[in-house]
Amino acid sequence: MQSLSIAATGMMAQQLNVEVISNNVANMSTAGFKRQRASFEDLMYSDMQRVGSTSSDAGTIVPAGVQVGMGVRTAAVTRITAQGNLDITENDFDLAIQGRGYFRVQLPSGDEAYTRAGNFSTSPTGQLVTSNGYTVQPGITIPSNAVKVAINAQGQVEATLDGQTTPQVVGQLDLAAFQNPAGLSPLGDNLFMESAASGTASTGTPGSEGYGSLLQGYLETSNVNAVSEITSLITAQRAYEMNAKMITATDEMLSVTSNLR
Amino acid sequence: MVTIVTATEETDRKMENALLIGMTRQMALRREMSIIANNLANVNTTGYKAEQPLFEEYLMPNASEDSPDDTISFVQDYGMHRDLGLGRIEVTENPLDIAITGDGYFKVDTEEGVRYTRNGAFELDAQGRLVTAEGDPVLSAGGTSFTFGIEDGPIEIASDGTISTNQGERGKLSLVNFENQREMQKAGGTLLTTDQAELPVTDATVLQGAIESSNVQPILEMTHMISVMQAYQSANNIVEKSDELQRTAISKLGDPK
Repeated sequence: MQSLSIAATGMMAQQLNVEVISNNVANMSTAGFKRQRASFEDLMYSDMQRVGSTSSDAGTIVPAGVQVGMGVRTAAVTRITAQGNLDITENDFDLAIQGRGYFRVQLPSGDEAYTRAGNFSTSPTGQLVTSNGYTVQPGITIPSNAVKVAINAQGQVEATLDGQTTPQVVGQLDLAAFQNPAGLSPLGDNLFMESAASGTASTGTPGSEGYGSLLQGYLETSNVNAVSEITSLITAQRAYEMNAKMITATDEMLSVTSNLR
Repeated sequence: MVTIVTATEETDRKMENALLIGMTRQMALRREMSIIANNLANVNTTGYKAEQPLFEEYLMPNASEDSPDDTISFVQDYGMHRDLGLGRIEVTENPLDIAITGDGYFKVDTEEGVRYTRNGAFELDAQGRLVTAEGDPVLSAGGTSFTFGIEDGPIEIASDGTISTNQGERGKLSLVNFENQREMQKAGGTLLTTDQAELPVTDATVLQGAIESSNVQPILEMTHMISVMQAYQSANNIVEKSDELQRTAISKLGDPK
């Protein structure tokens, strides 16, 4: 019976839905995390009786045919790139991006990755690095005798050296923007790689047209909304249960048939 | 013309009728179950519309010639009814999610031709075009797709479907309606297809940052499911009873005493 496999597609879809929701909840306090949403589509339909076929020799037309759908499939797990909240940390090397754009990070392999998690620190050589120790691009070295580091909204990094009163510019951060940031391919560790869906990166100064501005001493929290995740979880779980009930019901119908002598 | 039908032959035929009536009922119920299963599987599908089969009585002229008024009725599913009611509007705050309130459809340019949908969970592709989750471009009233560049700021969509960014107006979403929406055929992927002429929308407005979820009502579907099960069981009883009748007849008549 078809309803058996149709209900199975429903259960599989809801299982994936729960997986996506649980990943969102697990990353609720991951800096720069963007929540994901599973979206579903109905599968193809089989025509039992075509719409518009003639039902008599007088030319009467069937107003609505019989089309039986085959269930549901996952269309996409979309990343929602909406801005997260800003969390004040008062740490000099914590940077939040307000608006569009990603920090550029150099992976040990030499490839470039992108991130919105601005919880940076300095390496033993004074380089600005991510929490994994990957260099933030373009490379910025903070002098070891710097007492104060200020990063302004346009990404200019200024360090006040010990015994000096005027700060000096030690580097300029830039941001990468994409046509379709939701299409970036995730690497884990809050990092993303360019993909065929994201388009190529274009870099620009923070605060210029099309790029967000930087905020020192803040971190962008994840954009996961606990209330909406929990309500989605409830819906997903109930939908899963209903599809499971459908399998039981179909099974009962089948057993009725097989109990015929 | 009179044909002589022996008593056994007639009973035989009638019993077969009962078997066949039971069978048509069971076949129709199986199909109804598939449709309910499809509704339940799509309880979380954006823009999905619930469906219900329509049954009718199919009269066979007469069962046997010496009882002319004794017509028998089979059951037949002759069509589907699509519930066109508005699904729940779910606020997502995603700027590329667009819900339609009122009657109307978005136009999507697929490889197979123009398709219509109420599923407004759109995205941007690598070229910055506004596309569906399948990557098919959404059409504007002018028949072109929308493209956004890096320099475009936040995308704003007005209630009449006009899309604008800080770079100015980018065109208007094409919203169309049809004479008979129920005659539109589902093409999978929440897309619909039809041969009908497009009509301008009258009362449809769009809502940015929200999606129309499926209008399947789980309680209704579950109760339908239960009643289909019960009906299947009782149709089965007819089949079983007439089988029993036939067996008794055979054993009684076959008894030499």
